[in-house]
Amino acid sequence: MWKEIGDRESGKLRPNSFITRIRSNRVSSLQLSNHKEIVSPHRGAINSLQVDLTEGRYLLSGASDASLAVYDIQRATDYDGGGLIAKHKPILLVDKQHQNGHKFAISTAIWYPIDTGLFVTGSYDHHVNVWDTNTTQVVMDFKMPGKVYRTAMSSLATSHMLIATATEDVQVRLCDMASGAFSHTLSGHRDGIMAVEWSTSSEWVLVTGGCDGAIRLWDIRRAGCFSVLDQSHSQLGRRPPLLERSTTKVSTSKCSLPGQTSSAKARAPQRKGSSGSGSKHSGSSRILRHAKGSAKQRLHPGLLSSQDRATAHYGAAFDVWTGKASMTLHGHYEHVNCCWYGAHDQELYTGGNDRQILIWSPPKLISEDVDEGDRRTGQPLAVDQDNWSD
Amino acid sequence: MSTYNYVVTAHKPTNVTHSCVGNFTGPQELNLIIAKCTRIEIHLLTPQGLQPMLDVPIYGRIATLELFRPHGETQDLLFIATERYKFCVLQWDADANEVITRAMGDVSDRIGRPTDNGQIGIIDPDCRLIGLHLYDGLFKVIPFDNKGQLKEAFNIRLEELQVLDIKFLYGCPKPTIVVLYQDNKDARHVKTYEVSLKDKDFVEGPWSQNNLDNGADLLIPVPPPFCGVLIIGEETIVYCSASAFKAIPIRPVSQWSFFDFIQCIHKHLVFDPYDSITRAYGRVDADGSRYLLGDHSGLLHLLVIAHEKEKVTGLKIELLGETSIASTISYLDNAFVYVGSSYGDSQLIKLNLQPDAKGSYVEVLERYVNLGPIVDFCVVDLERQGQGQVVTCSGAYKDGSLRIVRNGIGINEQASVELQGIKGMWSLRSATDDLYDTFLVVSFISETRILAMNLEDELEETEIEGFCSQVQTLFCHDAVHNQLVQVTSSSVRLVSSTSRELRHEWHAPADYSINVATANATQVLLATRGGHLVYLEIGDGILIEKKHAQLKYDISCLDINPIGENPNFSNLAAVGMWTDISVRIFSLPDLNLITEEHLGGEIIPRSVLLCAFEGIPYLLCALGDGHLLNFLLNTTTGELTDRKKVSLGTQPITLRTFSSKNTTHVFAASDRPTVIYSSNKKLLYSNVNLKEVSHMCPFNSAAFPDSLAIAKEGELTIGTIDDIQKLHIRSIPLGEHARRICHQEQSRTFAICSLKYNQSSTEDSEMHFIRLLDDQTFEFISTYSLDQFEYGCSILSCSFSDDSNAYYCVGTAYVMPEENEPTKGRILVFMVEDGKLQLVAEKETKGAVYSLNAFNGKLLAAINQKIQLYKWMLRDDGTRELQSECGHHGHILALYVQTRGDFIVVGDLMKSISLLIYKHEEGAIEERARDYNANWMSAVEILDDDIYLGAENNFNLFTVRKNSEGATDEERGRLEVVGEYHLGEFVNRFRHGSLVMRLPDSDVGQIPTIIFGTVNGVIGVIASLPQDQYVFMEKLQTNLRKVIKGVGGLSHEQWRSFYSEKKTVDSRNFLDGDLIESFLDLGRSRMEEISKTMNVSVEELMKRVEELTRLH
Repeated sequence: MWKEIGDRESGKLRPNSFITRIRSNRVSSLQLSNHKEIVSPHRGAINSLQVDLTEGRYLLSGASDASLAVYDIQRATDYDGGGLIAKHKPILLVDKQHQNGHKFAISTAIWYPIDTGLFVTGSYDHHVNVWDTNTTQVVMDFKMPGKVYRTAMSSLATSHMLIATATEDVQVRLCDMASGAFSHTLSGHRDGIMAVEWSTSSEWVLVTGGCDGAIRLWDIRRAGCFSVLDQSHSQLGRRPPLLERSTTKVSTSKCSLPGQTSSAKARAPQRKGSSGSGSKHSGSSRILRHAKGSAKQRLHPGLLSSQDRATAHYGAAFDVWTGKASMTLHGHYEHVNCCWYGAHDQELYTGGNDRQILIWSPPKLISEDVDEGDRRTGQPLAVDQDNWSD
Repeated sequence: MSTYNYVVTAHKPTNVTHSCVGNFTGPQELNLIIAKCTRIEIHLLTPQGLQPMLDVPIYGRIATLELFRPHGETQDLLFIATERYKFCVLQWDADANEVITRAMGDVSDRIGRPTDNGQIGIIDPDCRLIGLHLYDGLFKVIPFDNKGQLKEAFNIRLEELQVLDIKFLYGCPKPTIVVLYQDNKDARHVKTYEVSLKDKDFVEGPWSQNNLDNGADLLIPVPPPFCGVLIIGEETIVYCSASAFKAIPIRPVSQWSFFDFIQCIHKHLVFDPYDSITRAYGRVDADGSRYLLGDHSGLLHLLVIAHEKEKVTGLKIELLGETSIASTISYLDNAFVYVGSSYGDSQLIKLNLQPDAKGSYVEVLERYVNLGPIVDFCVVDLERQGQGQVVTCSGAYKDGSLRIVRNGIGINEQASVELQGIKGMWSLRSATDDLYDTFLVVSFISETRILAMNLEDELEETEIEGFCSQVQTLFCHDAVHNQLVQVTSSSVRLVSSTSRELRHEWHAPADYSINVATANATQVLLATRGGHLVYLEIGDGILIEKKHAQLKYDISCLDINPIGENPNFSNLAAVGMWTDISVRIFSLPDLNLITEEHLGGEIIPRSVLLCAFEGIPYLLCALGDGHLLNFLLNTTTGELTDRKKVSLGTQPITLRTFSSKNTTHVFAASDRPTVIYSSNKKLLYSNVNLKEVSHMCPFNSAAFPDSLAIAKEGELTIGTIDDIQKLHIRSIPLGEHARRICHQEQSRTFAICSLKYNQSSTEDSEMHFIRLLDDQTFEFISTYSLDQFEYGCSILSCSFSDDSNAYYCVGTAYVMPEENEPTKGRILVFMVEDGKLQLVAEKETKGAVYSLNAFNGKLLAAINQKIQLYKWMLRDDGTRELQSECGHHGHILALYVQTRGDFIVVGDLMKSISLLIYKHEEGAIEERARDYNANWMSAVEILDDDIYLGAENNFNLFTVRKNSEGATDEERGRLEVVGEYHLGEFVNRFRHGSLVMRLPDSDVGQIPTIIFGTVNGVIGVIASLPQDQYVFMEKLQTNLRKVIKGVGGLSHEQWRSFYSEKKTVDSRNFLDGDLIESFLDLGRSRMEEISKTMNVSVEELMKRVEELTRLH
């Protein structure tokens, strides 16, 4: 580290390369955080996690006991272990008791991308709610035809405020926050829709994945979807190699998603040791995003890859550059449902059926001079005690 | 409140990043164009050397600079692309002598990952297209149409993701690029692609070559007739084309130390292309058969392509010699080469046919000062004159040096003689209408010697027969009718300057010896003992005593410098008096007292001078204690008004006028020599970078035109004077890389942390030292070697509570090859005893000590993630030790720490600024507030109690404010961002201080300033302005933006907007002083234009901007 800092100082290392290098070093050393913990108030499997996109400070979690919580991940609520382990308790908690609370499991909880004043939740109770963070009141409510699996808002959008929702229904609905009504209904999928994401390059492009095994790309300004990625077709092997690679990846995430939700539904306790197929189950929104981004980039993964982005789930982090799993993170006792990578601090947050939210971070050198530091002067007793224990 | 800040460059960037040669300003004119990060300089090649033509700022950091010539053009155009994805094409307008913009545009893409290895911008040799590699996986093409105009750009997907270099090949029917890249197994290959403009896509190229040298990182396209490409690796150089493949080894010595190598392997890093051996190349011949290669240690090689007719038969490489470590090489003409450097001074060199005694073919003709990279600096006042000097750690590797930067006027010494005890000096001409001075009269306590230039342009002692040389001369002057006047204590002698014989003599009455005297071409005024004032006039061969006056007291000084219309005759005489401490103005020739001004105090006037600056007559009066009074003088009534007093030094001052560049200035010789000049009808004082000057006289001889003769401690120097008000830089080459510096007042020493690269043997190594330097001579006086792998990371001079000694504290880190982050370090406490560094105490730490600060009589260290406070404890045996008191965790890496009172401001590696507070009662450090933005910091400083300044990785500056009045905990816990600004420079260090002398009576004296140093060698000043002034200047800046257009049509507003990966926002609460001060360079009409829109007079605007220029 000192060397990199020195090289940056003398102009040998470009500031940009410095960041990339340090980030990738840190990401490759991700482990269960030894200095930061989230105190989960949830009594059900965690289904959704997201850190806000503006400040990178507030983590929003939604769980299957219909509770949702917000944590300040930058500022600890209290400390443990001699001030070394920062505890992050929820600064906001909504559960079934809340007057506007969801009745059934929350499947998705996302931040309004522009600021942290609003967030959006989707639940199996067929509702999509828009919440005011400060008052913890629902400011808008969209009644959906079926269970809501996922919602998404575009972080690029400047000209619309649409929440794309994936539900049990075959249609993708776009809820307009400005008017409080559905602005679009996108038809095409032949079965329930499990996943939805906006493009990171165009505010008009939406990607959805359904139980029918297809991924559809939509330009919401036009009718119908403009492209379908269909796994059964992709297996015919007529595609150029690059396309193939990214499609496979897309399909991995896609097929895992039903698995994820079904496990959430079933609440089947599954020990980590028993699940050899952990990495298979590891579809993540993040990877989906990568792959989808790639699809938009004319199927070139390079733009997003060159650093090993750990996007782990239950265990696995993929190296997009090679397409291989680069590390396996063990920590959860049960299935992992969701994860979020905080690029801000190079931290990874995962939530699982074991009702825990774990933080994976680059290790901090917790030095032994901690005791020394805490050994305040004027407390010779403590010193003595140390000696005793020796 | 320091919310409103004014950022200005005191020293422009000097790090040469790019250079190119071509016919830019005219078809027959050969130009060298140099890019210094945010500036370009255009030079013209003349037989006399490089002649600067233009030096302009660019509103962007230059990423690529290329000259090209579209079809049908007679001269080259300049293509510039900036790091913020703007580009422009510039053309020279010979009529207006300025550059005009032919084309400009934005080549950014909404998404895309910026390339790691920097941007690449290349132009097809046949001018069919411009190629840009800005984002991984994309190659942007800007095609030219038939008329040489640019068409719309488009992207082509490039499969290679880790591109090291891309070049266009010569002699291809279709534009063809050659790409050097690295695959995911870290092997390096080259590949060629043809660019199909019609399909907007690549077509597989004619050839490719796999598995090259692992250090290959530079491609040199070879022009016809050979064509093909040279691939420069770390160990080999390969020539590659469709038909041939030739390789040679460079040399066996690796530039990398073994440990670096291990470290690289450990970190799964490739050898960083930035670090590889060959860093720069320059093509010698148009046919591309010879190239100059500059490597990482400053060695210059010549690479020759051996050929038989048009067939390449092999490669040869030869060592030419050593230069600065080159970042760019431009072969000019006739064996002249420009070597631009980022780590040392840039050079103009000549390649000789025969080696010199040391076997080097390189002859350095000129060096261009480069301060970059400034990794650290300190502000000191060595001469205790109240003016800051900046001592920087500049350069890197072998070119490492210390630079002493000081605002003041330099004297370029031309000649000097040892002469003790000079009491006065005057220059004389050999004829009244002679242009040059011939004689220099030097007076001593009991003799007078006359020096003259001989035929060999040497100063030689001569004689003027008519002068009395056995006694001290009181005054000399040229007089009309080819005569010279000499005043001694007994007589006034009039001597012919042609025959050198005495023509007339006026004797002072016996017992009335002459004390002081002055003269001009036609008049002599002298004062004798007893307060007698005698006025003589000079005729042809005769001195006439015109008037005599008896004054109450003795006279201490006199002046009759003509300031009226007649340059040879003065109507006024200024007289300084003993006893009643006054100056009096007498009219001439009748010697009537017209004004009497009592100076007050008890210090007698030692020198008076009548002079006119910019047509305004002044009376200057210097006192014996180094103070200077100035008055406005009414030449008709003799009235003195507008009295001002400034302190120039502590010793008596002698005033003399001299002229430089046709302007009259006054030289005040004293223990702190100063030049007094006027700018915009305001007197300014600029100190001269000389120690103590007892006398000065202008000496404009044929051999040394426009020179000054200066008498200082036992020496007579003849030298020319620098431009007024300019930074003066002195270099102390170290031969090693200084990383940290600090000054200790008590021991009058500097201590530096430095590292030396040893390349003597086959195995390279680095050695780390703490060195002690004398603050006057800058010689190493003591050295402490650090352990193997131990780096000096921080240094501080401080003292502790209950201990009056001053100590140097050094923080170190053990950088082990196998560790990602240091886990061990030391804090060493040294004391300077008899000029030696004595280790007094030592404390082991659990990580690198990135920063050290004195804090409440204790030592505050930043160790990896932690802030740790140490007490200085007395042990039972009388020795001292550092004992840890308390600490604070919660940072990623606490790299930069500043303190003020009980507050601690921490700049984190990637988490912006946080504010901690030390609680005395609890003996604990707690976090008070934090900025939650993700800024990767490079420096922090505390502006005042509430406002903190930070510099971050993307070349931005920002200020945050402590919000102690916030209503909620959340608000109080947040540092609010109040100012944002894109500096465009990577700041390594902020320090409080000022480069200029702060005169208490000046308006800018109260404005607090901070100095910063950057990688490009910029020294800048940040001044916190009062709000009303800020608002005024902001208005001026807005108006200037409309009037002054950026080169290449680049927008100033965009350039100064805060720019990072996540956001781009307009700058606020920062002003660009460089733009504002360029107001003074505008023509009158444009000034008036601005004055009209601002509703402020031009004079007022100028005055206010002038005031700000005095901040640096």
